[in-house]
Amino acid sequence: MEHVVSSAESATIIAFTGDIDLQTSPDARKALLAIVGNGTGILVNLAGVGYIDSSGVASLVECLQSAKKSGQKMALVSLSEGALRVLQLARLDRVFKICDTVDEGVAAVA
Amino acid sequence: MVSAEVNDPIVTGGAPMGVAPAAVHNHLELLADMGRDFASNQELEVTLKRAVERITDYVDAEAGALFMLSPCGQELECDACIGPVEITGLKLAADQGIVGFCVQRDAGRIVRDVSKDPDFDASVDSETGFKTKSILCAPMSVKGERIGAIELINKRGGDGLFDDNDLHLLQALSFSAGLAVLNARMAAELVEQERVKRELELAAEIQRSLLPDTKESDFPVKGVNLPARVVSGDFYDFYPLDDGRVAFTLGDVSGKGMNAALMMAKTASLLRCLGKSIKEPGRLLTLVNEEVCETATRGMFVTLVHGIYDPESGYVRLANAGHEPPLVVDKDGNYTAIEAEAPPLGISPALIDEDGFPETEIDLDGGKLFIFTDGVTEGYISEGVELGIDGLKDLIKNAGDTGIQGVLNEVRDRIGGAGGALRDDVTLIAIDDGTATHTKNASDSHAEAGATGALGEKVLQLRVTAKANRLRLVRNAVKETALFCGFSDKDTGDIVLAVDEACQNVIRHAYGSEGEGDISIEIRRRSDAMIVVVRDFADPVDISKIKPRDLDDLRPGGLGTHLIREVMDEVDFLPPPIDGGNLLRLVKKFGS
Repeated sequence: MEHVVSSAESATIIAFTGDIDLQTSPDARKALLAIVGNGTGILVNLAGVGYIDSSGVASLVECLQSAKKSGQKMALVSLSEGALRVLQLARLDRVFKICDTVDEGVAAVA
Repeated sequence: MVSAEVNDPIVTGGAPMGVAPAAVHNHLELLADMGRDFASNQELEVTLKRAVERITDYVDAEAGALFMLSPCGQELECDACIGPVEITGLKLAADQGIVGFCVQRDAGRIVRDVSKDPDFDASVDSETGFKTKSILCAPMSVKGERIGAIELINKRGGDGLFDDNDLHLLQALSFSAGLAVLNARMAAELVEQERVKRELELAAEIQRSLLPDTKESDFPVKGVNLPARVVSGDFYDFYPLDDGRVAFTLGDVSGKGMNAALMMAKTASLLRCLGKSIKEPGRLLTLVNEEVCETATRGMFVTLVHGIYDPESGYVRLANAGHEPPLVVDKDGNYTAIEAEAPPLGISPALIDEDGFPETEIDLDGGKLFIFTDGVTEGYISEGVELGIDGLKDLIKNAGDTGIQGVLNEVRDRIGGAGGALRDDVTLIAIDDGTATHTKNASDSHAEAGATGALGEKVLQLRVTAKANRLRLVRNAVKETALFCGFSDKDTGDIVLAVDEACQNVIRHAYGSEGEGDISIEIRRRSDAMIVVVRDFADPVDISKIKPRDLDDLRPGGLGTHLIREVMDEVDFLPPPIDGGNLLRLVKKFGS
């Protein structure tokens, strides 16, 4: 798994590629929490993530909670079918703001 | 018949002598009447009373009484009487008075004048107020079997004394009465025997209904029971549990016959009832042992094997309470005997330690398990030749394609067909784990049938180190397997997620941060579902602590288990294997 961080308007975009599983989720968590506190909206692009497990979802949840505390908005964008399925199974599809495109997401976290 | 006594007036037996032809005709008529009375279906007491009446009247006596000897031979009791004084129920010692004299010597006697006879017992007269002048008495006996005697008192009219002709007549009539009593007793015994036999047959029928129905030809457990008598002290049972495993029992109650059969019915019922909810053989036997100990009588006990067979994994867990060692035959034909490590049920609850009856776990791995009573190994296959343990092994070896049913049939035919009564109840059950083996080989002609059977075809066996960086490998293998089995992309994704989460639980919870071990994943395909068994080799995990997370609580943790339960049709933590570790069984049905 790899990730790339970029900026767009008032948002920080973090794009993951590869599987987020027990092995890689500690790295994903670290990368996500690094953005928390910088004052921008957080957009997590999962277009390159075919598989995410409970530990990956837990990292996303932890990031969301931290972001809320620091007054940042957070959204997920471009979820694969598998990733969306896991969020639905975890009943978290309504907890997260889920957007189809990056533009939509940037607007949502503004 | 009546024996001779030396001293007159004791008279030897025989037909009445010196009697006119008309009188003979009357005698015969009386005998015929009495015969009809005895042949009628009335109570013996009523018939005897009628006979005493007829005899007293015919011999022309004032009173008559019929005394029966008690079964123990100690006492004479008046069963019927006729005359001015009612003495029915009067009891005498077996050698008391003239009646006792006649019964003891099996000879008739006439006392013409009691006032001149030293054997006369005047005590009855003094109680009843009756004045006895003359006594006639003849024994009832058939082929030396003493039944009692008939006594007549005082000839009517004249001097009131009897003569020898009267005695001859009474002897003939007494003999007829004795024969009739004996016949009636034998008939009653026959009726009783018939009743007991019918009851035994009913009991046997109920016993047979306690044995499981073995008509399903593809069921992996089969049994046979040949009772040595009508009912049996042996029993066997097997039944499917709700988790797909099969519970089985074979027991042998000490002794044979009805008491053993009743004990068998009780033990079998307890095991069947409790065995459906208590799926740990050792704990189940502990409970049943306590119950049997509380109520067992006459030092009866039960040797017994109870276990659970998992057709998915081929594992058997069993507990042996003092029974013959079950025989495991692996697929290469090697034998292992599983010795008992605990005493029989019904001996003492104190002999069982706190952990209950010890359990043994066996991986049948395509082999077979035979559990039997000593009636099998000690059964005669020909005059004086026992089958023996080696004989049983030979039967198993030679059964070939006929499988366990073939072995059961051979045991039944060899021992049951050897002629003569069985020495002991013969009981044998067998478990065949071989179906799974057949399906491994695609070229095997049984493969097609096996794939749709209860066991399913093993399509993946994987063992990896329990590390996070092996999970991708596991996911890929499971994904390809699920697709191969015919699942859609979406279902395949769900199965991959579930197995991945199950492996995570192992890595994070079972082995923890320090420990390290392996994860084994086995996937089988059945006609209706795919079954995944995830096994680790760590210390048993407290299953009660693995719960799906509370959805209102966003903390991570139980989420993985929640995901597994969401996507799979069945999720069961199976009881830990005896050599440690944990088993998680996941079932995903096709088209669900």
